[in-house]
Amino acid sequence: MPLSGFLGIQYDFQWSVLWTGENGRWLVEGVWTTLRLSALAWIIAWLLGILSGALRTVPFAPLRVLATFYVEFFRNVPLLVWLFFWYFGAPQFFPRTVQDWFNLHGPEFWSAVVGLSVYHGARMSEVIRAGIQSIPRTLLEASVATGLSVGQAYRLIILPIALRLIVPPATNESLNLLKNSSLALTIGVAELTFMTRQIETYTAKAFEALTAGTLIYLALCLSIAAIMGQMERYFRIPGLIVRVGRAEH
Amino acid sequence: MRSAMRVLLVAGLVLGLAVTGWAAESTLEKINRTGVITVGARTGSPPFAYINKQNEWVGFSVDLARLVHKNIEKKLNKPIKFELKESAPATRIPLLSSMAVDLISGTMTDTRPRRDSVDFSITFFVTGAQFMVKEGSPIKGIQDIAGKRVGAQQASTNERIIRERVPQAQLVLFPDQPAGFTALVQGRVDTYTNDGIQLAGLKVKAPNPAEWKIVGDFYSYEPYGMAMRKNDSDFRAVVNNALMEAIEGGEYFKLYDKWFGPKGELPYPMTDDVKKFLLYQVVPK
Repeated sequence: MPLSGFLGIQYDFQWSVLWTGENGRWLVEGVWTTLRLSALAWIIAWLLGILSGALRTVPFAPLRVLATFYVEFFRNVPLLVWLFFWYFGAPQFFPRTVQDWFNLHGPEFWSAVVGLSVYHGARMSEVIRAGIQSIPRTLLEASVATGLSVGQAYRLIILPIALRLIVPPATNESLNLLKNSSLALTIGVAELTFMTRQIETYTAKAFEALTAGTLIYLALCLSIAAIMGQMERYFRIPGLIVRVGRAEH
Repeated sequence: MRSAMRVLLVAGLVLGLAVTGWAAESTLEKINRTGVITVGARTGSPPFAYINKQNEWVGFSVDLARLVHKNIEKKLNKPIKFELKESAPATRIPLLSSMAVDLISGTMTDTRPRRDSVDFSITFFVTGAQFMVKEGSPIKGIQDIAGKRVGAQQASTNERIIRERVPQAQLVLFPDQPAGFTALVQGRVDTYTNDGIQLAGLKVKAPNPAEWKIVGDFYSYEPYGMAMRKNDSDFRAVVNNALMEAIEGGEYFKLYDKWFGPKGELPYPMTDDVKKFLLYQVVPK
């Protein structure tokens, strides 16, 4: 049955537009940009998240306040606004020569990387804090009692356990980050959603282009979920927690 | 893999349920049955279609759509409700295909590839692409943009022409007009290109209009038409007749003067060529 009949609309599907002419190359370029953007933002978001998530639990108030400020400031403003800020606003604080240099080195892409990673870092921070706080406080006390400093206790004992505990919610955040990267098209980053719109512009075949984009996002998200599921199993500490249900992908 | 299949299946079922019940009926039949004509227009592209200070959805293309609406009431011989729905460049064709709107009346350029997906009315407005630059910029037209950062609106025909004619230009594409113009104001791009009429609209609304210049000859031809579902010639005839009668009877030119005349929202005098072209589109009674 043709898809148009299934959907009940009067439309003539031509799937070949997805690979004819430049369209195929555009889709591939879009996927590549989405992956690069998401991967860079993902790594930075993890680093920011681990740092601020850990700082929010340390027994030293000024650091806790600083980390709380970062989290609440960045996660409570819509990502779209942040992208506009990093692209249109933030460069204004620099002298003209720096701006000119920035303009010649992909300002759209790097603004999007910063916007996504800072925003998702703040969200990741809460996930990591939840992981740390689910560990009994006595473990930190016991670690310090063995002669470790608080920093060492976090690095060697607390964080390795917390990071294992938070894989499921962190997977959630990672998928969100990948999908949120599509917002970067508003500041002119030619990522996957941008390219599907580009194909729509050139061919007027909106359903084909959007369907292709949707299926690619779905495939990427399922792959990430599968990889995170594998990681969860690979790194688990036998006997730490009794697992009734396991991630299945 | 099993969970992936399940996701797809559920998604498919939901989609299918959401849109079942549509048999293939013509647009006039649909309007007759529901008593409503839904027109897709923009909310932010003055003076074609926008929300004004009184919070009313108005504009030149909205007024033209109302003429079509009147003609449909005459044809069906009963009162029909007139409804507007926001339709962005990326959503307008899906909105038409899914029967969410019956007619797109905005700033949509009639192109040959688009005619594979939708049908167009006769042309109701003619413009062409130009460049907006800051006063004092070295850019005077398409011959000067090689190596420059050129902002353009995605889903416009302009970017395609630049890609073909000046591949050395660094195109930066934005999904909407305000983002592209802000990029120009903030210096992220050296120039912003769009249809001349749209640039004129941006210039008028800019905080300091004298700062901005619209330069260059038209490097594209942008005939605006109303779009509708393909292969529905009865409906298309009603739309075209409404436009032709308005051009012939002078009502079109009154509306043009209302929006683009010297006292209009955006003064944009009609050239003699354009006037002749519009009149030649009117086929005899």
